[in-house]
Amino acid sequence: MKLTFAFLFLCYMHVSAEGVSQTRITLKLDKVDLKQALAAIEQKSSYRFLYNEALVRTEEGISLNAYNEEVISVLDKILNGRPITYQVLDNYLVVLKNAATADIQNPDITITGRVTGPNGEPMPNVSVTLRGTTIGTTTNAQGNFSITVPDENAVLVFSYVGYTPQEIPVRGRTAIEVSLVAADRSLDQVVVVGYGTARRRDLTGSVATVSGAEIAKQPVLTPTQAIQGRVAGVQIITSGAPNALPTVRIRGIGTTLGGQDPLYVVDGVITEDIRNINNADITSMEILKDASATAIYGMRAANGVLIITTKKGRPGKMVVNYDAFVGIREATNLVDMAGPNQYAGYLNEASVYYGTGDSLVPASRLTGTHTDWFDAILRRGFLQNHNVSMSGGSERINYFLSAGYTSEEGILITNKFNRFTVRSNNEYRLTNKLKLSSLVSFSRFDLRDVDYGAFNNAYRAAPYVPDKINGKYGNTSAAGNVGNPVLSLEKVFNNGIGNRLQGTFGLEFKPISWITFRSSLGIDLDFFKKVEYLYKFLSDTQTFIEAGGNQQRGNSRLNITDNTANKWVWDNTVQLAKSFGEHSFNLLAGVTAEQYKFNSITGGRFDVPENRDQWYLNAGSLGGAVSNETGDKWTRNSVLGRLNYNYAGRYLLTATMRADGTSRFSEDNRWGYFPSIGAGWLISDESFMDGQQIFDALKLRGSWGRVGNDKIPTSLYYTLARLNVPYYFNGQEYLGISFPDVTDKNVQWEVTEEIDLGLEFTVLNNRLSGELDWYKKETTDALVYVTIPGILGDPDSRFITNAATFENKGFEVTLNWRDNINKDLDYRIGGNVGFNKNKITGLNGGQALFAGNVGGQGFVTLSDNNQPIGSFYLLEVEGILQTEAEVAASGQSGAKVGDLNYRDVSGPAGKPDGVIDSYDRTFQGSYQPKVTFGVNGGLNYKSFDFSFAGYGTAGGKIYNGKRAIRGADARDNIEAEIAKERWTPNNPNTSHPRATLNQMAASTYFLEKGNFFRLNNLTLGYTLSERLLSRVRINSVRVYFTAQNLFTITPYSGFTPELQTDQILEAGIESNSYPSTRTFAFGLNIGF
Amino acid sequence: MLATAVCITAGSSCKRSFLDVPPQGQLTEEQALIDPGAAEKLVGGVYNTLYFGSFGNNTVGFLWVIMNDVASDDADKGSFPADFGPAAEIDNFTFNANNFIFNNVWLGHYEAIVRANKAIDVLNRSTFDETTRKRLLGEVRFLRGFYYFNLVRAFGGVPKIISIIPPSEANSDAVNTRATRDEIYAVIIEDLQYGVDNLPAKGEAGAVVGRITKGAAQGMLAKVYLYRQDWQKAFDLSKAVIESGKYSLGDYTTMFREVGANNSESIFEVQTGPHRGIDNCDAVSPLFSNGQGPRSKGAWRNNVDGKPYDGDLGFGLNSPSADLANAYEPGDIRRGATIIFINPTVGGGPNPGTVLWDGFRIPTQDSVENPRYSYKAYHSPFKETPSCNGYLDKDFKPKNIRILRYAEVLLIYAEAAARLNNTGEATAKLNLVRARANLGPTTGTLANIWKERRVELAMEQDRFFDLVRTGQAATVLAGKGFQTGKHEVFPIPQAQRDLSAGRLTQNPGY
Repeated sequence: MKLTFAFLFLCYMHVSAEGVSQTRITLKLDKVDLKQALAAIEQKSSYRFLYNEALVRTEEGISLNAYNEEVISVLDKILNGRPITYQVLDNYLVVLKNAATADIQNPDITITGRVTGPNGEPMPNVSVTLRGTTIGTTTNAQGNFSITVPDENAVLVFSYVGYTPQEIPVRGRTAIEVSLVAADRSLDQVVVVGYGTARRRDLTGSVATVSGAEIAKQPVLTPTQAIQGRVAGVQIITSGAPNALPTVRIRGIGTTLGGQDPLYVVDGVITEDIRNINNADITSMEILKDASATAIYGMRAANGVLIITTKKGRPGKMVVNYDAFVGIREATNLVDMAGPNQYAGYLNEASVYYGTGDSLVPASRLTGTHTDWFDAILRRGFLQNHNVSMSGGSERINYFLSAGYTSEEGILITNKFNRFTVRSNNEYRLTNKLKLSSLVSFSRFDLRDVDYGAFNNAYRAAPYVPDKINGKYGNTSAAGNVGNPVLSLEKVFNNGIGNRLQGTFGLEFKPISWITFRSSLGIDLDFFKKVEYLYKFLSDTQTFIEAGGNQQRGNSRLNITDNTANKWVWDNTVQLAKSFGEHSFNLLAGVTAEQYKFNSITGGRFDVPENRDQWYLNAGSLGGAVSNETGDKWTRNSVLGRLNYNYAGRYLLTATMRADGTSRFSEDNRWGYFPSIGAGWLISDESFMDGQQIFDALKLRGSWGRVGNDKIPTSLYYTLARLNVPYYFNGQEYLGISFPDVTDKNVQWEVTEEIDLGLEFTVLNNRLSGELDWYKKETTDALVYVTIPGILGDPDSRFITNAATFENKGFEVTLNWRDNINKDLDYRIGGNVGFNKNKITGLNGGQALFAGNVGGQGFVTLSDNNQPIGSFYLLEVEGILQTEAEVAASGQSGAKVGDLNYRDVSGPAGKPDGVIDSYDRTFQGSYQPKVTFGVNGGLNYKSFDFSFAGYGTAGGKIYNGKRAIRGADARDNIEAEIAKERWTPNNPNTSHPRATLNQMAASTYFLEKGNFFRLNNLTLGYTLSERLLSRVRINSVRVYFTAQNLFTITPYSGFTPELQTDQILEAGIESNSYPSTRTFAFGLNIGF
Repeated sequence: MLATAVCITAGSSCKRSFLDVPPQGQLTEEQALIDPGAAEKLVGGVYNTLYFGSFGNNTVGFLWVIMNDVASDDADKGSFPADFGPAAEIDNFTFNANNFIFNNVWLGHYEAIVRANKAIDVLNRSTFDETTRKRLLGEVRFLRGFYYFNLVRAFGGVPKIISIIPPSEANSDAVNTRATRDEIYAVIIEDLQYGVDNLPAKGEAGAVVGRITKGAAQGMLAKVYLYRQDWQKAFDLSKAVIESGKYSLGDYTTMFREVGANNSESIFEVQTGPHRGIDNCDAVSPLFSNGQGPRSKGAWRNNVDGKPYDGDLGFGLNSPSADLANAYEPGDIRRGATIIFINPTVGGGPNPGTVLWDGFRIPTQDSVENPRYSYKAYHSPFKETPSCNGYLDKDFKPKNIRILRYAEVLLIYAEAAARLNNTGEATAKLNLVRARANLGPTTGTLANIWKERRVELAMEQDRFFDLVRTGQAATVLAGKGFQTGKHEVFPIPQAQRDLSAGRLTQNPGY
């Protein structure tokens, strides 16, 4: 591969060397017409000709021999004796004119004008170019421009991101006023698709776009968090934890193993982690939902594709922007825990009255201390974000340079995060045929990480033990309880630093107008180093208020992790775009190769001194030293093709095909083929629609395709040896080997077949637009961990194989309304809703998969045929046993009055048998929502802007694992609500059973509705008047206030209904989750 | 340039090398088995299964200890009352098939058996010299037979897996159905007999401390024949061990300490050491010692040789019962070597506490959860090899587990002799064991031999099966909740029954 790289770079250099100014040519013409002669010159030089077709229509042939001659002199020879004159402009552009009509004296026309927005406001930085050339300028702050064109037939193109480009013929005018219309939702919007761009009108697939402006508006770190609720059918599960990557689920779950995440493509680089991307650098994000759109990514597209495009400069004067916000973040929706007396009351009732008779919490321990452990470990975190960017360009070079800094304190004490990003996106037009682009970003983060187990310990810790007094910690473990979470957090320093360099270097060669060759090399270098220092402390009075218990660390320890990942992807494509009359074709073909390498070195030593300057492995003792190195490597190689055909601009056809080869599967199963086909009909462009007034646009589309998913660990198909398996013979260690894991040598990718039908429309004078989609996805050969009987000897009793079939069916509706009431007031409101039905349709010959082990309750989910993946499988609670007679009739051995009454559903004979056991468990739904929805809207009134965005889900269930696991340790604290509402003979009408120290059975008592609606974002902004600013040479200033997650409405009693997990078979069990957070921020945007 | 890119795709030679990426830093089965020493290393991997412990898959580790000793009259669950419910269920016979201890004992044994099957398969194909090959086969087959012996005693008939089962057959009837008890015993006897026939005796060429010897196979098979009530074979095999002259009774008071590891009496013993693996100390049976260690109530600290040691010595589970403490005759030196007695709290003055052999002082009863703890499981943090994590780490102490001792072989011999009406031999060997315990002679009746077995082998995971075997369980364990006709075996784990789609039948009464 090294050789090919070298070759590639040589290519760059070679081309750039000769491409700068090719003005002398060698040319041999033999009886060609004038048009061919000019084309020949174009081919051999940097010169381009601009002319009217009628002008060059000649019958006689031209013959010529030129050797290393100036182009101009060659041209003179060719035109000699013809009624044609010419003028050479900048950029080797030559304009040919009829000698009879040309005004030789005054050939150039200077046009001035003004560009305004939909509300008449001046639009700065609008690009104004001469069609078919690179001549151009941009508008100034007042929206004014001035451009010189060769003749009165020139056509000017006005374009601005997010607005419909307009083409205005000059027709002899010298002053032109243009009003641009926002392109949002319009069919002419240009969207980014795999390996290229397309106009929305030409798409046959389901593609959603969110603009960078929408993303940058929210005080969140990752762009996916900002699009929560924006796109129908896309579920985004977020966590308030600093540096957390939100979970994205597009159109349900079609896989159960680690690979449910969509494919992320950042400027052509395929990645799995987008936390290095600064939101402020994003131009747009495209969400590819159906196979017509995604199949070009083949084996990795089954979960949908998210394409992120970063900003580029535009020709014109330099634009400088500074954006910043500062704010606070805090935990919300906390669960109230019992206070000391309530705690002691509950435990002692359970122990004295129902248990052994021992008082678990003696009255002497209740000395008035009341610790709210969540108060002790949580705080209000400060956050800030600063971005500065410069962009601009000339005809040759466009540049965009930005730097961003963000820092936030986690809501958990000691948790802290900051990130610095810098990006440089440049495009160089070497010649008119050759373009070089280099998009490079560097990001560095610094995270003081914490053990989120603190949340669980705060939930469990006894409230009568103080958290910390005068630097000494309350001793919870001496009280027979969990460790003190404040101490756990403070006695660890865990700092990770990540450096990531990501870039795309592209070379585009356009030998003739309809052919484009493109070669691009994407690189992604990721370096991560973690230093974890565990302080030494003993359970003595030096650390604790009172000595004892088992929370101690006898030796300090230093653990170092050093990870390096590097990846390259090399795409080579050719695109042919040509029209023949009413037929227009766009053909893309390409090959890509990709390689990933990962290396991780970890080391640890005991007894490293506390002094930070000594935090090196060599400063520690050799006893208990560890050093490990592991690696990973995979390669992929693919061939891809796409044909877009449209007839008369109304009938559309897209066919794609990708052949993917991967090193992840055995040689026999290595190559997969992923086709798709889509068709579209632009009904509104039909002549029979001419008269109607209802539809501004109407489009019907449908697609079918097959995509894959290969996201499983590398080398899974190998049976790997476990080395250095020790035993002792003769007092000496002997290192053996074993092959403990059961593996499937024929493991291969999953295949998802998708059908999509969509309707897009715009009505009521472009005020209402909408999109309806119906889809069905069927995943076959889905990889699942099949739990296998213990007799096979696998250590965790499971192996991965292609054994399941899943189905997702759904319907999506998106509606957006926008209108201008008057010059001062416009508003928009939109909503989307997605319904999805997930079902397992075939499962390894009917063997159901248990998962979700909750302590002594065992597995609480069962994935079985005709049920959603990860369905809860529980005993059903029918109230509380109120009398001894009910206890006797309940079939529950050992039950007492006040216990839950479970429904007797079935038995070994298939009918109720008077015994409550595993036969009485039934399916109770899953965490997967049946409905996801979002609403968003905004209003601009004079200088004020206001916007909001909300998100919610319905139909999902949550298993309250924190409650369910209680009883595994008798001295755990209890939720205040349960302690208060628990069943007692005096409080029989309640849903909470009697006080108990034991763990209860897995039942619907712990299952709650996971529905929620959250006001994700609320922003109020004010833009300062231009008049005020022009004096200080500032273009624009906007100040705003924004709130993230102002409120969440949910019936769920736990910390958050948003539960992130990769283990989809056991999703929705809340055991140790990061609470919901709320952010308030004040921000500023300044443009220079 | 494009041509170069196409080469990656189309050129078959470069395609092949580009997409052929072997696992990084890992050895595939194909590569591993090229090693001429692979078969021997696989055997080492089978020995390694003796470490399965902690709360996970178990062979002879922590959960196996709980399951056996706590079910018997030798021990109570221990710790504080609400701790470790699944063990409490075993203590009072309220367990059902969902108790995870049974599942993890099942899983650990089958994981070990499958490793043994793999090693046997490779050994059968290997080109070792015949003597070495047979010796290695003998070691592995001994371990497999031993594991099946545990399974059949714990669960009755279980699936008979003696060859490699490919995952495609995971669902077949053949492997999801229980074999009969007799069929499993046939496997055990065949495996152990192979060991008897092919293993070197202790001290002979090829016999290395820690490796299975002929004596171990003979002794274990003798024990199996006791369970089969084949008195003559039990007699012959135990006699062979005795007459080999390789073993003798050692010092009971130090036998369970590190100094007593592999002493003259040791026949089969799990060897441990402070080896450090990738994640932790991996040459120990985790929690074996700590799980049974004295548990503090409140805070205390102590030190030995200036080494401070805070908190307690363990989980306090598997606490020797008062009944066991009372079972010893006066003057029996084994009582003090088996049980750590916590002294009652006395008012006023300095309390003596309990000073262990290594000098560590455990406070009196008000600071400790239970009145008695197992001395046989105690591993000194100060005077014996510490955990690879340092002496403060309690979970990974390198404590050898004694599985078969010469004293038991003497008692097997005595019992078989008594059954064969050879009272003279029975009495002679019984009194050898008694004399070592500082007790006077008695007659070799079955009742006396069984009584002796109890105190000799107390807290060594033998008592429960012994009570069932000798038919004493119904009377001895009645007070704990033992039900005749049900509790002679534990339930087949429900999780395994579910995975077999109900083909694994449940034991009666569960």
